[in-house]
Amino acid sequence: MARKNKGPVTRLDATSYSLNIDASDRTTLNSLLDQLRDVLMHDSSSEIARRLFPAAYHQDEQHEQEYQRLMRDELLSSRLASLSLTTSLLERETTSDSIVLTADELDALMRSINSLRLVLGTLLDVDEDDFEAHLAEDDPAYGQYQLYSYLGWLLDWIVTVQTEFN
Amino acid sequence: MPNHRLSSTDVRPAEVVDSGTDVAPDTDRPWIVLVWNDPINLMSYVTLVLQKLFGYSLEKATELMLDVHNKGRAVVSSGTREHAEFDVYRLHEHGLWATMQREDT
Repeated sequence: MARKNKGPVTRLDATSYSLNIDASDRTTLNSLLDQLRDVLMHDSSSEIARRLFPAAYHQDEQHEQEYQRLMRDELLSSRLASLSLTTSLLERETTSDSIVLTADELDALMRSINSLRLVLGTLLDVDEDDFEAHLAEDDPAYGQYQLYSYLGWLLDWIVTVQTEFN
Repeated sequence: MPNHRLSSTDVRPAEVVDSGTDVAPDTDRPWIVLVWNDPINLMSYVTLVLQKLFGYSLEKATELMLDVHNKGRAVVSSGTREHAEFDVYRLHEHGLWATMQREDT
């Protein structure tokens, strides 16, 4: 995935933003979002599922069961709604490599990218102390760490563009 | 953020001693919401989420984020059980590792 000198997200005005990534990157992101949607729909017991649906009550099983009974489906719906909005905006027709986003769309994109990082980071068992070592081309997980790094770069821009004028 | 896993952290509810005098009953103690450190969430992202959800200033949100980063956890809100559950839910929506418990447990 290419990283351009121009930031991947820029602020247009008080309520709109521009996502500046090319079509191949958008296609790749949508493919990852499809995989994330599949995980959300069908995986309820793995380490990844536990990271996406963490316990609310630590060492309080009775309250935790009640919380999950009431809130898990709501959290799932919220995550799926964010993914759906993100997918639709990434598929938006454009004559350039830029897509105009509302603040709500940028928020959905931010949460979706963060969810992808949570899944990939959990799969890789990321430890920031040895993160850089995995970015060497001869590392067996080089491609996955490159992707994880790209998602972090994109997320950091999404955060920055929301905070720099506050 | 360093690799500090929730599962390795031993947080146990404190034993409640009912003296029958002026000790506040267990149900009167507020609930607190904790955000735990994890090696995945970006520091900038955690700071923004704390600002967005709780209306904290950049300085306050940064201070809390650094507590999470350096001490392993930080209390980000407190209140009734229902309010704490709502805050935990919103933090989970944003991918932060949050739990709730009674204060002083």
